Order: sequence, then structure tokens, then C-alpha cells
Amino acid sequence: MKVDDVLPNLNNELKGTKTLNELENIIIKYLGRNGLIHDLLTKIKNIDISQRKEYGQKINNIKNSINQLIEQKKTELVNKKNEETTVDITLPGKRFPKGSLHVITIAIEEISKIFQKIGFIRMSYPEVDWDFFAFETLNMPRNHPARDDFETSFIDYPENKKWGKMVLTPHTSNGQVREMWRVGAPIRMINIAKCYRPNWDPTHTPMFFQFEGLCVDKGINITHLKGTLDYFAKEYFGPDCQTRLRPHHFQFTEPSFEMDITCTVCKGTGYLRTPEVPEVAAGTSGVLSKTKCKVCKSGWLELGGCGMVHPAVLKAGKIDPGIYTGWAFGFGIERVIMIKYGIEDIRYYYNGDIRFLEQF
Amino acid sequence: MNIKITHNWLLEYLETDATPYEIQKYLSLCGPSIETIEKVGKDYVYDIEITSNRIDSASVFGISQECQAILPMFGKKAKLKYNPLEKWSFKNLNSKNYHRSILKIKTDPRLNPRFTAIVLSNIKIAPSPDFIKERLTLSGVKSINNVVDVSNYLMLTLGQPCHIFDYDKIFGSIMIVRESRKGEKLITLDEKIITLPGGDIVIEDGEGKLIDLCGIMGGLNSAVSEKTKNIVLFLQIYDKAKIRKTSMITGQRTVASSYFEKGLDPERVEPAFVYGLNLLEKFTGGKSSSPSYDIYPNPTRKKTIFLSISDVDRIIGVRISKEKIVHILTSLGFNYQLSDDRAKMVFEIPSYRQDDISIKEDLIEEIARVYGYHNLPNNLQPQTYIAQPKETEILFEYQTKIKYFLKHLGLNETMNYSMISKEMIENIGLTVNNHLSLSNSISEDIKYLRTEIFSSLIKNIRDNAGKKSQLRLFEIAKTYLPRDNDLPDEKLKLAVVVNTSFSELKGIVESLFKELNIENSQVKNGDHYLLAKNLQGEIVIDDIKLGIFGQLNPKYQVKNNLKNEIFLAEIDFTSLAEKAKIMPKYKSIHRYAVIKLDLTLETKKSYENIKTIAFKTSKMLQNIEFIDKFKDKLTLRFYFSSNIQNIIENQAKEELKKITLLIN
Repeated sequence: MKVDDVLPNLNNELKGTKTLNELENIIIKYLGRNGLIHDLLTKIKNIDISQRKEYGQKINNIKNSINQLIEQKKTELVNKKNEETTVDITLPGKRFPKGSLHVITIAIEEISKIFQKIGFIRMSYPEVDWDFFAFETLNMPRNHPARDDFETSFIDYPENKKWGKMVLTPHTSNGQVREMWRVGAPIRMINIAKCYRPNWDPTHTPMFFQFEGLCVDKGINITHLKGTLDYFAKEYFGPDCQTRLRPHHFQFTEPSFEMDITCTVCKGTGYLRTPEVPEVAAGTSGVLSKTKCKVCKSGWLELGGCGMVHPAVLKAGKIDPGIYTGWAFGFGIERVIMIKYGIEDIRYYYNGDIRFLEQF
Repeated sequence: MNIKITHNWLLEYLETDATPYEIQKYLSLCGPSIETIEKVGKDYVYDIEITSNRIDSASVFGISQECQAILPMFGKKAKLKYNPLEKWSFKNLNSKNYHRSILKIKTDPRLNPRFTAIVLSNIKIAPSPDFIKERLTLSGVKSINNVVDVSNYLMLTLGQPCHIFDYDKIFGSIMIVRESRKGEKLITLDEKIITLPGGDIVIEDGEGKLIDLCGIMGGLNSAVSEKTKNIVLFLQIYDKAKIRKTSMITGQRTVASSYFEKGLDPERVEPAFVYGLNLLEKFTGGKSSSPSYDIYPNPTRKKTIFLSISDVDRIIGVRISKEKIVHILTSLGFNYQLSDDRAKMVFEIPSYRQDDISIKEDLIEEIARVYGYHNLPNNLQPQTYIAQPKETEILFEYQTKIKYFLKHLGLNETMNYSMISKEMIENIGLTVNNHLSLSNSISEDIKYLRTEIFSSLIKNIRDNAGKKSQLRLFEIAKTYLPRDNDLPDEKLKLAVVVNTSFSELKGIVESLFKELNIENSQVKNGDHYLLAKNLQGEIVIDDIKLGIFGQLNPKYQVKNNLKNEIFLAEIDFTSLAEKAKIMPKYKSIHRYAVIKLDLTLETKKSYENIKTIAFKTSKMLQNIEFIDKFKDKLTLRFYFSSNIQNIIENQAKEELKKITLLIN
């Protein structure tokens, strides 16, 4: 190509260039290792010496112009490329599988972590156990109502001379004496397991989950139980959550308490904020109405039972109640899920309905 | 149980400046929980939860006593106006009455530790006075007439149920308290025919008819009616376990039974009897016409408990003064006595608390609750290290990991009941014999403890028909394998079900093993009866079977009423967790070129077999990848390389040729 044709040629070619890839080819053609400019420069040796300097300068000027033109074109193309891409970004992207965990699994993980942080280990004890661990060592007298057919599911199995009848554990407390036998004292344990009671109606399932905490050591008193449960409630339900203990009665604790937390719907006020729409009432806006909260009893929700470990239970666990004291609690996991996440349809928890399962 | 009483009724016994709402708030914190309070006219109705150990407080008097102890802790005035337990006693009875009526009584102290009765003559059935009608109505009790109302009014006032018979309907004036025989029948006041399970406490009259289902409901045949002239006021203590059993089995859950089954105080029968008689004479115009019968062979003995301040300190965690302790306990009816040992306090337990209070911790509870749990600080106990058994830790750790992994593969976690039905067991070819069963199952659907998870997953698939077309479920749960003379082996298992394809199921299983860095597992042909003959495998590590997977055998697909094929896998979870590794074995990165060659061939040999032969044949072979299978044509990708130098394509081709010869 003649020297003077280079720039007009390039201009022509650039006019027809639509993509950055095409531009890349032009760059190679003109400026590449074996490109036009290189060609023209090698031809310098054919030029008369007196004109070489001028020739050289001319080629250099052309090269600079090429660079300039290409740079211009590049900017133009980049801008164009940036603008021309049109996709409906509201369309869904490529689909990846989305599975789910069971709500109970999610809660178990949350709860275990909360207690792990304060040094509680999670243990696992039998779900089918002897009367001895489920009742006898828990200070339940033989004729106690909890031990009868209406409150506990029994297994059709010969009674063991030493351990008594075989039962489906009605609570996680069968782990108490087993843990005492395993480690003695001190103890910091949580036990999360399936429990069973002969009760099946819209608000009860014959199988449910409990989580149980047990702490035994020298110098453990009520303030420690209060402190631990308050810590749990604030971690699980949120820092605004208030707690209280009320007197209650359980055979395996003395004193025994019922633990309450402030209602998550009315924020402990006992009254709804906007009476017509209960969902909105959960918010903090709106004025307190005269309508009583339908979820709680006067601002408080019952969480479950707890207390100081009964001396008879410590004794059964071969721990000297004169030296050691302890606290224990046992709460229903379904209950804390209901309170925290509002998933109240308990009958869906264990019937495998995919429309329930896949939501979590 | 819950009771309803009214504020004005309470004020009959209690002098206080606390408002009903203050009473609700303070009692709920320190005593019985007042769940709701409702203003009706000029009165307020309390709905109060009574815990099973405090049946003594399930009355107007019981609640006023709680008020007396609790309200002063909140700066409120509260004092009993008088103590009905002291006011009403046999000593007040006029024993000079002319006794023209008698009762012939036979009882058994084992069933009936205290028996009291008296006949009243010439009563006039009429409506009750307005204040009784109003109080009962507000308390949720229907007002009937002056006689029936007194029995309910008495129960709510003092917490002792009573029964009133029509004296003239008791044949021969004979009352025999005995245990029922199985199958005996009785019609109760609510006109229900009750067939007795046997061993129930009943009363038989002189002609052998049953006139009372004791502690639960009276018989219709001896009921007070409009025409009744003479009545028997009847207050008893019964064996609480028997009352509960009869009430549960017959389904007659009456208010009276909910009192009796908790165990009542025999000493309170006396004041209740005298107060009841007083009310009846006042409102019915009748006069007592028989001796007052009281058969009480083993009176309650007094009990005391020693307590020191340091005991209280140790459990509650804060120091409470001796004065406060004594004040709290005496206001609850405990008698403070001086002790020989100056360091200790002695308290006499009132008869109505003897079932509940037997050790010092019981007394400490009374002190702590009235002192107020809200007044105690929140403390965390000191940290201490407790070792968790490694195998327990691993089990929980991998449950979480595996659950998340399967979730991310797109599976949904399900949780089913541990109990299944006979039908579910038989539908997978097992028999109930090898299962533990519940002796008191409430439904045939949940009678047996499952020994596997497939039956539940099959049910999940069937129940979800029409809800979602593609289903991929998994469950990790204990199964219960019966053992001789021992608790069942609670084997933790992982099971998966998909209704999509065999290849998908196998892919899930393989990815899981890969994720867990289990490198030495092998797949062999399986022969499990529940799975399709040629579409199943077992996963084996060092000759130990970890699990099975495959298509459900068409026979069981039909048996379980499933329209389409489903694919199942079950893996022993404990072994899986044991074999799992946090990190895979590290291989140093290859320095030399790798040459990939594809091969399509027709062969009858299995993939596993081809792999074994190929690796044996070529030392340069690094990896084989399955690409595709179409009919009998199998496409594989071979990766060749040398550990010591770069190889050229022809060398690789040479290697592949050697392999091809052997696998064709």
C-alpha cells in the first residue's frame, strides 16, 4: 500500500467496523508485528538516504494518527457496547435447586449455638427408656398422674426387675440422671430430643421436641437459672425480650417455676395497636387500642417449666445435695418456634406436606 | 385446673386496700396465676390457675390466704378477717338435737380415709338467696336450687366438694362404701349410663343399688328433686388415685373429681361440714335430725421442718432476714416454733400442705416465691469446661453438615412420627412382630416404633400426590430395633426418596460421599427385596455395608398404591459420620501435561469393572470420566499423564489402545 493511502484506507475500514473484535483485527493489520506500519518502516532501506529522515517522520506521524483514530473508535465502540446490551433484568436468572431444612432443625441449631456460647454441651439420650430414668429417679411417686396411661405412652415389653417398665420418653428429663451418672458434677448440658405423649388433637401432636438444660455445680442458685434463661430469651427472641419466673409445680424441681416472656405480638403491653389487623399490630407504630391481645395473657407468654433440681433427683444421680445444687428447664421447641416465627399449624410439622416443608 | 371466684366473695374473708388488678398482678408473680380478670356489674371475676400441688388454694379462702402473704410484700394491706378453719368446728354443733333419723354406714378407710355425714329433715326446696345465685353464676356454676347451690358454694368457699343425697331414696338408710365390680352400671346425675371398669369407689344402699359414683358424680336414683324433704349432707375424703382412674376411664371429668384426684386435706372436712350444715339450715329451713357421723380412724399427724438461714441463702442466692422468713411462712399458715438449736427455725406444716411440703427445699420455695422472683438478680453461673464425647460431637456436627448439603442439592427435609401403623409395616414386606409396640396407643396409625424410614417416606410421597410433581425428600432419624431384655438399639439413619430418576438418586448419594471426603467407598450390585431387581446397589467400605439405594420394587410400588416409580436410599448415619473426613487427601498439583482422549464403545462390562481393568492396565491413566450412555454405547473420557515427564499424544493413544483391547 502506498504511504498516502494508509489513512484514507483506515478511515474507510473503521467506518465499517462494528465490534471490538473487528477493531482488534484492524489493529493487528496496521500496527501488528507484521502489520502495514512495520512494512512501511522496513521499506526505508529502499529510500534515498537524503529522504530517509523525512520518510521516517512521515511514517511516525501516520502511526500516531492511526493510534488516535483507533483510540477514538475504541471509545465509541465501548460506549456503544455498554449501551446496546438490553436484557429484561426482571426476568428470573438461571434456576438452581432450592431445598429446605425442617423448621425443627433450624430451631435446634439456633438453640444449640446459644447454649454452646456459655459452655453447655449437647448430649443425646434414649427416646425409649426405662421408667427408672423417666420417672422413678425424677421424684415421681408410683401413683403420680404423669406415670399413668393417659399421660405417657408405654411400650408393650416385659417389665425389667431393676428398671421397671419401658416407656416412650414423655420429656427430655430422662437425660438428667443419665448425665449425672456419666459425669457426676459439675454439669452443663442441653439435651434436645423427640418426646411422646398420648395426645393427638389440633394443638397437640403425639410426638414433639423438647430442649432441656441441666446445670449442676457448687453454689448454683435461683439467680443463675434466672440469668441463664434471660440470656437465652434475649439471644433467641431478641434483646427487647423481657422474662419472668412465676411459681409452679413439678416433681423433679424444688422450687419450680413457669417461665414467661413478653409477648412478641403486643410487645408485652397486653393490648393490640391496630385492632382490625392483628398482623400490623406486631409493629411498633400505631396507637395502643382497647382491644386485648389475643395471643398472650396480659402481655406475657408462657414458655415452659423450670426449677432447681430436686435433692431427691441429685441423690438418684449419685450427687450429694449437701454439696451441690443445680437448675433444670425443659421447653417445647414447637412452642418457641410458634412464638418466634408464628408457625402455628402444628399438624403440618410432622405430616410431610411439601407445601409446608419447602418454605424453610 | 382453673377456678373462678369473685372479688366481693374474696372480701368476705380478706381485708385489703389492693384493687382487683393489683391482686391479679401480684398474685400472678408470687402465687397462683390469675389468668384473666373480668368486671361484671359491681364485681370482678378472677380466673385462676391452680397447680396440682396447691389444691388447698383452690377456693375463696385459699386465695385470701395467698393474698394475706403476698400483698404486703408490695406494700398493700391484707389480712384475713377470720379463719374459717378455726371458726367452724364440731364443737359448735348442737348435740342435743332429737335424733329421729339414722344412717347405717359401712366404709373402708383405704378407699375412704374420712367419712362424714348428717341427715337434715324438713327442708324446703327453693331458689337460693340472690348473693349465692350471683356468685355462683359469675363463677361459672349454674344455680339450681338452695340445696344443690350450697354444695357448690361450699366447694368454692373452702375447696372441699360435698354431695347431698335425698335421704328417702337411700334404701334402708344403708350406705356401704366399696369397690365396684367390673361391668356394674350406674346412671349419674347427668343421666349418663356409666359402665364401671371395676375397682371404682361406689356406694351401695340397702337394696344393692349403686347410689353414688364417689368423688365424681352422684347417682340419679338418689338425687335431690323438687319433692325432696329430707337430705344427707355428705363430705368425704377418697383415695385420689382411684378417683383419677375412674374419672379418666369413664370420661366423667367433673369439678369434684378434679379436686379429689389431687388429694384433699382430711382435717378440712370438719370445718367444711359444719359450715355446710350451717348454710343448709339457714337457707333450706331444715334441721339436723341425726347424729353427725365422722369415721376418721387415722387422723393426720403434725409434721415439722427445720430450716436455717444459710439453707435459704444457698438456694435463693440472696440473703433474706429471719424476720421476713418467719413473717412469710406464718402468713401462709405455717406455725413458727422456737427451736432448741438456736441456729435453726422450726415450722409446723399445716395439715392442708402436708402432701406438698416435706423437705426444707419446699419451705424455701414458699419463701422465695413470696419474696418475689422478680426481686432476684439475673446471674450467669461461672463457666466450666465439660468434655463432650467425641462421637456425640461428630454425630451432631455431621447431621448439620449433611442436612445443609442435601438442602443445597435441592432436597427437602422431612420429619415423620417415630410410630407407624401395621399397614405401613406390612406394605414394605415386614411384620409387626419385629417391632416394639405401644401398649396404650391412642390410634392404630401410631402403634409401632419404626425400624426403618422407607415406610414413612413412601407415605410422604403418596400424601403429596398432586401437590408437587417432582419430590426429593430426606430424613435423618432414629429407628428402634428391638433387643432382648434391653432397650431398643436406637440406630440413626439417613434416608432419601426421589420420584424423578434412578440416576438422580445415585447422583445424590455419590455427591454426598464426595462432599464427606469418603474416598474408598464402592458400589456393588444389591439384592434387597424391597428394591427392583436390576436397579439397586449397595455402598460398601472395607466390606462393610453402609447403605442401599435403588428403585422401589414394582411389587411394593403397587402395594403402596403409588402411580409412578420412586427411588429410595438408606444409609447408616453413625457409620457415615465415622467415615466422613473434614479434609480430603491432598494430591500435589501435577507438573506435566495431561492428555484427554474420548472413547465410545459397546460393552457388556460394568463401568466399575472397566475402571478396575483400565487402571490395572495403564500406569499413565490418571482419571476416567463417564460422559454419556446411549443404548449400549458408552462414552468415556480418559486422562493420561506421566509423573516424570511430558508425554505426547501418541503415547496416550498407545495406552488407550491397550485398555480398549481388554475392555471391549
